[in-house]
Amino acid sequence: MNEDAPSAEVFEAPSHDEMIARFGRDLVNDFDLDDPAFNDKFDETLNYMVRKCPVVHSRVGRGYYLINTQDDVRRAAQDWRTFSSAKGYMPNRPEGLPYLMPEESDPPIHTKWRHVLNPHLSPRTVAGYEQPVRDDVNALIDKFIDRAECEFISEFGALLPGWAFFKNILGLPIDDLAMLVNGVEEGTFAPDPEVRGKYFGEVFAYLETHLAWRKTQPSRGDLIDTILAGVTYEGGTESPWAHKVSILVDLTFGGIATTTFVMASAIHHLAMHPDQRQLLLDDPSLIENAIEEYARFFPPVVALGRTCTRDVEVSGTTIPEGEFVMLTYAAASRDPRHMDEPEKIDVRREGIPHSTFGVGPHRCIGSNLARVELTATLEEWLKRIPEFSVKPGTEPTYVTGFLRSMRSLELVW
Amino acid sequence: MRMKIDDENCTGHGRCAKYAPNVFRLDDDGYNVDRGSEIEVPAGEEKTALLGMKSCPERAITIVEE
Ligand code: HEM
Ligand code: SF4
Repeated sequence: MNEDAPSAEVFEAPSHDEMIARFGRDLVNDFDLDDPAFNDKFDETLNYMVRKCPVVHSRVGRGYYLINTQDDVRRAAQDWRTFSSAKGYMPNRPEGLPYLMPEESDPPIHTKWRHVLNPHLSPRTVAGYEQPVRDDVNALIDKFIDRAECEFISEFGALLPGWAFFKNILGLPIDDLAMLVNGVEEGTFAPDPEVRGKYFGEVFAYLETHLAWRKTQPSRGDLIDTILAGVTYEGGTESPWAHKVSILVDLTFGGIATTTFVMASAIHHLAMHPDQRQLLLDDPSLIENAIEEYARFFPPVVALGRTCTRDVEVSGTTIPEGEFVMLTYAAASRDPRHMDEPEKIDVRREGIPHSTFGVGPHRCIGSNLARVELTATLEEWLKRIPEFSVKPGTEPTYVTGFLRSMRSLELVW
Repeated sequence: MRMKIDDENCTGHGRCAKYAPNVFRLDDDGYNVDRGSEIEVPAGEEKTALLGMKSCPERAITIVEE
């Protein structure tokens, strides 16, 4: 619990037999992000790993490690020279998939791009989107409020982030959103890596066509024009077209594939816990803090990867040069060394040092926008539908890999 | 109380200014304006300053021991 707990922690050793009994496998030597048991026992697995398994290894495909404690995740994320992003963020990356800027790059290229992109998603800029996002929240609620029930994901959660991003930031038509949402979802969760590659390919092709079209149009001074203008790399070369397309792809993945999960999980939790809901109804100024707590506990990005540029020791395990390492942001956000009762959700929790939006230079560029969407959603929803619950006989369904997503959530009021 | 904001490790989460707006300010990109230097916490703001410090995912804010 100590703020400045010594980093050289002594871990209580995990027991092989206990892991087999509880999780059906030895997490330390044989972890698998795509194991359905990880989806089903998500909280239990994370809580166990962050306490007992600072580093685990997976034998799937080319193999990868996961780093689980908050101190190790933070140090690795900040040490980009040792933990490089330039070889991608997903384990067992499909062959031939182009690298995505800025996420799959290191400084100084990364810094150049972030420098020009940041202003388009800064707290000040996104504050200007608050009212339009709020209007969209209400327009979506209008469609189902009189029915006294909805399927939250398809009727709200999967739509709002796309609307917010497409309408306010990209100026893209929302008619094409369904195709892109599906493409990103299948590209992430389809069991077959080939199929993942095919869906990603479609998303790439669509966005490239749009970018090429904007090149023929007068400048609007927006994010797309900033991407088209490009940056100059060290040594004076101009950023190539492929990098520009990938920026748009990366932003779109982030913009539509993540916020839904925090939103839906928060609404689900409030449906199940009238006491916490009442706290927010009585004092709406608590909502912003509640969002940090929900983001901490319901992380859409479970873990993202780096490649070791040298042999490196992490909490007693030596990870060899060239190995792929996932930073388990989801586990780091519930580290008992840094907070009391991490497995409890409390909207009043004070000081929430979570890593849901990442740590280090790759800190989520969309975090300010995501917070605007989440705040508008909880504030407007609670005003208009203060009492609601999960439809009897149903429960939400989830899918998990290096991302986590909710597939359905039936509500009634 | 004095606090120091690390230059390289501040990556613009903006949590410090959210929880302690009278202590920490953000620049146009959303990074702590005082990164790379020390600040004096205004009297009476110690509690919020500590909350802002604790909320920084980068641990970029530290107390300067007098
Ligand atoms: C609750 C919602 C969101 C969560 C939890 C989330 C999470 C993350 C995380 C953990 C990273 C760090 C990547 C790393 O360490 O390699 C990241 C990066 C990124 N996110 Fe988000 N994200 C969210 C919303 C968004 C939105 C709305 C956008 C677009 C507007 C976005 C765009 C990006 C981009 C482009 C990056 C790469 C940044 C870089 O590498 O410099 N994200 N996000
Ligand atoms: S919370 Fe930390 S990283 Fe974020 S702006 Fe403040 S000092 Fe910088």
